[in-house]
Amino acid sequence: MIRSRTLAGFASLLRAELADLFQYRIEMFLYGLWQVVNPIIYLVIWSTVVGSGDIAGYDRDDFVLYYLVFMAVSHLTLAIEVYTMAPSIQTGRLSPHLLRPLHPFWRAGALNIAYKAVNLMFLVPIWVGLALILRPAFEPDWLGIALFLPSMVMAASISFLIGSCFAMFAFWTTRSMSFWDIWMSLTLLLGGQVAPVAVLPGVLQQAAVVLPMRYTVGFPIEVALGRVQGAELAAGLAIQAGWTVAAAAAFVVLWRAGVKRYGAVGA
Amino acid sequence: MSADIRVRNLVKHYQVADREGGLRKSLRSVVRRRHRSVRAVDDITFNVQPGEIVGFLGPNGAGKTTALKLLSGLLHPTDGEATVLGFIPWERRREFLSQITLIMGQRQQLYWDLPALDTFLVNKAVFGLRDADYQESLGLLVDLLDLDEILTKPVRQLSLGERMKAELAAGLLHRPRVLFLDEPTIGLDVTMQQRIRDFVTRYNATTGATILLTSHYMADVNALAERVVVIDHGKLLYDGPLSGLIDRYAPHKTITLRLERPVERRDVAAFGEVVEADDLQVSVRTDKAQAASVTARMLAELPVADLSVEDPPLEYVIDQVFHRRES
Repeated sequence: MIRSRTLAGFASLLRAELADLFQYRIEMFLYGLWQVVNPIIYLVIWSTVVGSGDIAGYDRDDFVLYYLVFMAVSHLTLAIEVYTMAPSIQTGRLSPHLLRPLHPFWRAGALNIAYKAVNLMFLVPIWVGLALILRPAFEPDWLGIALFLPSMVMAASISFLIGSCFAMFAFWTTRSMSFWDIWMSLTLLLGGQVAPVAVLPGVLQQAAVVLPMRYTVGFPIEVALGRVQGAELAAGLAIQAGWTVAAAAAFVVLWRAGVKRYGAVGA
Repeated sequence: MSADIRVRNLVKHYQVADREGGLRKSLRSVVRRRHRSVRAVDDITFNVQPGEIVGFLGPNGAGKTTALKLLSGLLHPTDGEATVLGFIPWERRREFLSQITLIMGQRQQLYWDLPALDTFLVNKAVFGLRDADYQESLGLLVDLLDLDEILTKPVRQLSLGERMKAELAAGLLHRPRVLFLDEPTIGLDVTMQQRIRDFVTRYNATTGATILLTSHYMADVNALAERVVVIDHGKLLYDGPLSGLIDRYAPHKTITLRLERPVERRDVAAFGEVVEADDLQVSVRTDKAQAASVTARMLAELPVADLSVEDPPLEYVIDQVFHRRES
């Protein structure tokens, strides 16, 4: 079980990281804007391509709805560890955090959550504005909406843990960012970003169902919109839970091996 | 009484990439990487008793900082053993980390854009300090370090010296029993150096903490540590009282005379090695054992107006230590 002291430590880190990030409001706003641009591009492309027909069960409204939810999900499941944790490993700034009686995991988590929370300030109005302008038809699937939250939490966890694993490559190489770029390209294709997984050609779709990328972005959107049902939904949630556990295990293994190699460079 | 810090045959090797300058050499290193092993800490053994202040001396790259990083648990050793307060440092157990601190003059844990007080509050929570204990520690540190004005300003607006004081406070809020101080006065002006030194002495006296410190400034070591551990190229060269180091490596006294009238240089040279001479002021280096008799003879044979006898400066001693090793 997590100790109360750990939680108190985490809460205080979260407060400090929030206060720290508020210093960079403009920068945050620009990052936030950038995160909205991509889905808008996909949205425009797919709405044009689909015309008045449908592709793999998605008509124009479905694409609009998918990418509106996508904006929220991709932001809330974002992994920033390659940009936060990896540089601190390389430059030795991890040292003070290693010497506190609280695993640096918690600080990375606090930073991740704080970043998302601060950006919500700018993003929520944009999301709401776009939804009001585009007004896609929406028939709520209540089971899907109920299961969206747990699926989102798992997606954000997988994303954070895998992001941290890539960041920990910095214990071995100075090029963890390049590995991360490869991962992000794969997520672009197989994670339901460039297109919903259902729209992908057969082989890619089969790959997407078993690989972790879809479970970091696409799957929670499909759940929320009632795109996966019954056995497929249950299987999807099970695979997602499996990837959460696997990512956590990978994190632990990499951390234990990596920290032994830590050079604590700098003074 | 058992030692607070116990080090046995500690070894740390680093792998460093060996790459020469120039484009062609760079291209070659893409295909074939060459690595070289650096022995940063090479088989060192020593103990530090509770409440002791020990100065770690050595030139740049001698392995002082690496040793501190090993003992505070940042690094895993290549070989050998160490315990600090009975814990193996690199296991970094909660109970261990709660009782030690590593403060580095060039590394900081303070949030750059926030007032230092915010970092203090994080440390309060992370170290699980009770309100009363936190307030007491904070009060003591504010008092000893004169922090009143500093704590509510964003760290980025503090001067180097103010930042160092805040950094010290952040590292000491949890009242560690063992302090590792790495160059705590680096880059500070003389007054601020003196204040940090006074603080360390008072902290040691009030809390009985064990302190292992490195410094480039001999004044630090001179003022703080009665015992020094000298390392170079990762090897331990000397472990003992500061006075012993002087006896062993620079067993001289410097006798400085102010004369009533100029004398021939050779008249002075008869008493020892002349290190400095102008018209009326002469410094002579002489064997420590003979300092008394030489002084007596000088007083009898030279027109002495004033005379002083001093130990050689520590810089000179250290230089002798490393010079002798190399030759």
